[in-house]
Amino acid sequence: MMSDLLVAFFFIGFTFAAYFLMNLLYLRFHFSFLMPALTATFIIVLFLLMTGTSYETYMTGGQWVDSFMGPAVVALAIPLYKQRKLLFDNLVPVLSGILVGVVIGMASGITLAKLFGFSRTLILSLLPKSITTPVAMEVTEQLGGIPSLAAVFVMIAGFSGIIVGPAFLKLLRIETPIGIGMGLGASAHGIGTAKALEYGAQEASVSSVAMSLSAVIGSFLAPVFVWFFFL
Amino acid sequence: MKFLMLLFQFIFIYGFFFLGQLLRELFSIPLPASIIGFMLMFAALLLKLVPLRFVDSTATLLLSFLPLFFIPATVGVIEYLDVFTGKGFFLIVVIIFSTLLTMAASGSTSQYLGRRIEARKEQK
Repeated sequence: MMSDLLVAFFFIGFTFAAYFLMNLLYLRFHFSFLMPALTATFIIVLFLLMTGTSYETYMTGGQWVDSFMGPAVVALAIPLYKQRKLLFDNLVPVLSGILVGVVIGMASGITLAKLFGFSRTLILSLLPKSITTPVAMEVTEQLGGIPSLAAVFVMIAGFSGIIVGPAFLKLLRIETPIGIGMGLGASAHGIGTAKALEYGAQEASVSSVAMSLSAVIGSFLAPVFVWFFFL
Repeated sequence: MKFLMLLFQFIFIYGFFFLGQLLRELFSIPLPASIIGFMLMFAALLLKLVPLRFVDSTATLLLSFLPLFFIPATVGVIEYLDVFTGKGFFLIVVIIFSTLLTMAASGSTSQYLGRRIEARKEQK
């Protein structure tokens, strides 16, 4: 009993330490692939594999960190509220962009994955890839997919969005702050929003609005898509 | 004192998440509990039921740690590492392709409509 508690505390501490160390590294070099969500996860997975520790054991501590995820999503309402003027002043272009993004993102994801013959579980995990991680995980879980895979797919979407994104946006002549911010936020969520900040404050605001509202609209539409595609 | 205020605000924000869970269970709403809580919080702020300063500092703090909170769930990928071998590579191709389509569609829609509305305003 006592040792269970120690194990739990150890993994809470380990998760925090991995995050803070990797965050320092990221702040020092500012290279996208050093994002702590990626590197800290990698370190923890490596540690568990090397010591032969099960995920279940890790989660005796990990679940405590995990329980902050829900309230943190609720807290996303505060930055959105601060951007309300931008949202209400550009209601039509913003909402249309998000709606089109969610529909195209989910429809193309399902269609392509079906074309390659991937299983239902994998498709359900891939469906919310353009939604911010904590919400994507909840959406996937509800539909019967695998939340941790959803998290990894969300990360892949984010990275492909910011690595190819800038050249791609230029190619498509997407050059207004609202176009750039929407493109990055609706496809690459938080990672895209961090990139949008490099363009300017307005791009970043649009991107963060796009990210929050894509999560809302995406969680409404995901079950509809599953039904529509007879998954 | 500062710590007590943050703790109190956190409990308050947590209350919205809890309410989201409760409503979800009661009415079997097919939405994540956190999204229900998010919408309630946004509505409460818009309706001035909750003043911004009451939740602002804790929300900012929570969001600056957001990536930390989803690390444990992401580590769960350890049980599915075989997904990325062999054919799994094409999953990555699918995601990249679909992400770029999403970016093109959403970005050009917003840019196009934004410009049209601007143009109409200038005509007036």
